[in-house]
Amino acid sequence: MSYLTLENVKKVYNKNVTAVESFNLEIEDGEFIAFLGPSGCGKTTTLRMIAGLESVTEGDIKLEGKSIVNLEPRERGVSMIFQSYAVWPHMSVYDNVAYALKLKKLNKKEIDKIVQEVAKTADITQYLDRYPSQLSGGQRQRVAVARAIAVKPKLFLMDEPLSNLDAKLRVAMRTDLKRIHQEVASTSIFVTHDQAEALSLADRIVVMNHGVIEQIGSPREIYHDSETMFIAKFIGSPPSNFFHVEVKEKDKDIWLVHSEFELKFNGTEKETLLNQYVGKKIVLSVRPENIKIADEGIIETKALIIEPQGSHNIINTNIAGEEVKIVSDQFHLKEGDLIHIQFNENVLLFDMDTEKRIR
Amino acid sequence: MADTQMADKSKKNRLKSPYLLLLPALLFYLIFWFFPVLTSITESFTSNTGEIGLTNFQLMREDTLFLAALRNTLVFAGVSLILQFILALIVAVLINRKFKGNKLFLFIMLIPMALPQSAVGILWNTGLVESGWINSFLTTTGIQEVIQGLNLASGAMIWKNVSGLEAVFMLILIDTWTVMPSVMIIILAGLQNFNKEYQEAAQVFGATKFQAFRDIVIPIIKPSIVTALLLRLISGLQVWLIGVMIFGFNSVPFLVERIVYYTDKVRTGVNSYKLANAYSIFTLVIVFSVALIFVRMTKNKKRGGV
Amino acid sequence: MKNTIRRTLLYLVIVFISMMVLIPLSYLVSISFSSAAEINDYPKQMFPSFSHELAVTWDEENSYYILERKNNAGKYEELYMSSKFDRIQAYLETQLNVYVEEEDLEKDFVQAKELGQKIELTYRKSFFNNFIKFFTVFGGAEKALVNSIKAAVITIFISMSIGGLVGYALARTSIIGKEAISIGSLIVRMFPMVSISVPMAILLVKYGLYDSMLGLAIVYSIPNIGLTAAITRGIFMGVNKEFEEASMVFGATKLQTFRKITFPLVLPAFAASSMYAFITAWNDTAVSLLLTNKNETLALLIYKSIGGSSSIHYAASGAIVLIIPALAFTFLLKNYITQLWG
Repeated sequence: MSYLTLENVKKVYNKNVTAVESFNLEIEDGEFIAFLGPSGCGKTTTLRMIAGLESVTEGDIKLEGKSIVNLEPRERGVSMIFQSYAVWPHMSVYDNVAYALKLKKLNKKEIDKIVQEVAKTADITQYLDRYPSQLSGGQRQRVAVARAIAVKPKLFLMDEPLSNLDAKLRVAMRTDLKRIHQEVASTSIFVTHDQAEALSLADRIVVMNHGVIEQIGSPREIYHDSETMFIAKFIGSPPSNFFHVEVKEKDKDIWLVHSEFELKFNGTEKETLLNQYVGKKIVLSVRPENIKIADEGIIETKALIIEPQGSHNIINTNIAGEEVKIVSDQFHLKEGDLIHIQFNENVLLFDMDTEKRIR
Repeated sequence: MADTQMADKSKKNRLKSPYLLLLPALLFYLIFWFFPVLTSITESFTSNTGEIGLTNFQLMREDTLFLAALRNTLVFAGVSLILQFILALIVAVLINRKFKGNKLFLFIMLIPMALPQSAVGILWNTGLVESGWINSFLTTTGIQEVIQGLNLASGAMIWKNVSGLEAVFMLILIDTWTVMPSVMIIILAGLQNFNKEYQEAAQVFGATKFQAFRDIVIPIIKPSIVTALLLRLISGLQVWLIGVMIFGFNSVPFLVERIVYYTDKVRTGVNSYKLANAYSIFTLVIVFSVALIFVRMTKNKKRGGV
Repeated sequence: MKNTIRRTLLYLVIVFISMMVLIPLSYLVSISFSSAAEINDYPKQMFPSFSHELAVTWDEENSYYILERKNNAGKYEELYMSSKFDRIQAYLETQLNVYVEEEDLEKDFVQAKELGQKIELTYRKSFFNNFIKFFTVFGGAEKALVNSIKAAVITIFISMSIGGLVGYALARTSIIGKEAISIGSLIVRMFPMVSISVPMAILLVKYGLYDSMLGLAIVYSIPNIGLTAAITRGIFMGVNKEFEEASMVFGATKLQTFRKITFPLVLPAFAASSMYAFITAWNDTAVSLLLTNKNETLALLIYKSIGGSSSIHYAASGAIVLIIPALAFTFLLKNYITQLWG
């Protein structure tokens, strides 16, 4: 039996706006799950439904086997870090962390023990006497974290907790959050629109778009085995390149024909292509790092703009009117150089109409 | 070179102009407020024969209605403050909930505040007379019968037949009807500008809706509430017009009612001007002290805990 | 299920509270439409009546018509007796707000004589009668109305110009802030206006402003300048300084910038402060009581009519006229009112 189950959870506003469609998910104890997607995709709404801050229009949510949809937030045993941290400004840091424990009617000694414990974990011991207005954003965020783990929740919910931090702090806090998750051995759900965050933190990622789950999988699966074109486009920095190609058959061989190149295809999808896609147009998805610059290649093009990234360069080219990006360690290349490129075997094929993966 | 010149120029402009812009206001207040106030203060300490002293205040103490006026004023201000706060809080919370027609409800609740005082006087006078609309309402709705049936009264009530503290309480009710919206508005503004996540966080961490309201919402919007109440307190201590419109002068005295009485009604009395001034300064002292006490009481015990 | 019970309860509470505001007002409106004969009627109607139910009987013995009216308790009561139609017409006009031509009256009444029995007639009241009469019966009502408008407009002018300057200055410099205005306004409020009325009166006399609308406007502006300064300061600060700086970089002078960029952006708040200033002047009774003699404002006029029970219906209609601007203002601003106070 899984730890947290969402069964066909649906959220509709005002009788006609569907924020979340038929959401199905099973989470095991101890997992770190990320809800990933662009603004408005329904990830925060789903999180809030789990917390009890939004009602569920249809479907069920079960925690440790028991349905929680009709319980108040405080009865669910979850804790939450809000995007704005929601650290209460009129209370000291100590009181912020202690509030929930006071409500639980623990005695002063117990409360103090727990507060000191979590303060150490979240590294805020020196701020316990201060007030939120005296703290920086990053420090307030850690207070929110301390407050959340103090209650030893069954489920640890985080709503874009890093979005309001500056870039450097964000990366540093990422690691801290993962460490805390492991130390406290909690089950966590982390909402973000930043795909790098999700990839680096999560055991599994739920990618959402327009209220619908696009794919659930490990970071590896999401990245290399994307289920939909949306995911290939959304994940990865820079995102995947798309080529519109026609499937042609010649002597039982499959050729993917583009205005600029022809590629003989031998991947596992060959059967499916032979059976269903001959003569049709499909989308060939190639990630920038899977494009190699060599002395010979199937495409000849010019390096237009080069963006040095330190460990590699991003080379922008234009192929048949489309912008194509290449990740390369060929540092000697200059803008305007003529280059030859090849694709390696890590390419994905997508159906042009459904935008789903062809397997 | 040109850049620094422009920067210097704008800096100069910046420094000079604020004082220029403030000058009209300063002059205005100097002439039309400060000097009259000063005059009033000095007059209050100058007796009729020209000597400086407290004779005027002595006269004031000897006024038969002085103690009643003081008592009525303090009771009125204190009780109406509490009543108005509680009602305003309830109504503000109600309006803040999302429901159809809450804009209309808000408009209706704002109406009493917008009414001119004299119109309010007419409104309640026509209501409080024996054949007025209050008794009409009770009769038409049958409540009158119930009252008589329960032997609470033997006939239509003569509302105006009250005096002393009873009359003050009647005025408190009428004043609350008029004034509660102004407190409500400020509380409502605080609630609407309130970050909902503070309350949600409390609910996630174990608080019931009531606990979240008590521990989180109220303390955070406290500053605006305190301001609203302080203004109301000051206005409450200066009550007079509503009392005069319903009961006339002298029957239900208030401090400021005495001031108006001696200024306007008894112009011919030799001491009346002096009395008016003495009452003015006395009222000022009362208002100032009460305000100070109130601010002290409501100050956060230097950021106390939950 | 629990939700619908909660909802219904909520609505009940809201309706109950609304009624506490609306019922008294309804009575006031009803009284303002009452005719002279109705003001002594009991119980008072919650809603205005727009016509009368009358009954006419021809008294053969005394040779006159008996005019009866259905009162609020539902019974017919005798009002008037006469055989002369010009008298009857006059009675209907002055006591019942009913205006009918003599010939038509005759036509209607004669039926009672001919049929030899009581006949029932319904006559409509002249709708705005009281409101029109208010301005004629109450000496100086028209003048008072004009006075109120004058005082209000001048108040707007003074408050907005002086207060606006203060607000702008405080928004664009960091010398003194919100606290200065708040404390200043508080101090001004603590001193009851009526206390300084005598020295104020003397001052106004000295400048020839006693018993004048300009004098009143000055006094009304005393609290309003602070309010305007606070409101406009808040709004000016909201106007992004970079808009103004951009304008100046592109060649405009400070004045042009103010006119073309800053002012249009702050217009809504200005409008609101103007309305506040207007209402302060329009609604006031206390100050005008003490600082005018013959030139009354409308509010003062109404105040003076309190207590006179014979023409309460005219006073009530005057009160309604008095209420209208404030009501309109509240309605217009109800959506923004929380922003102003926040």
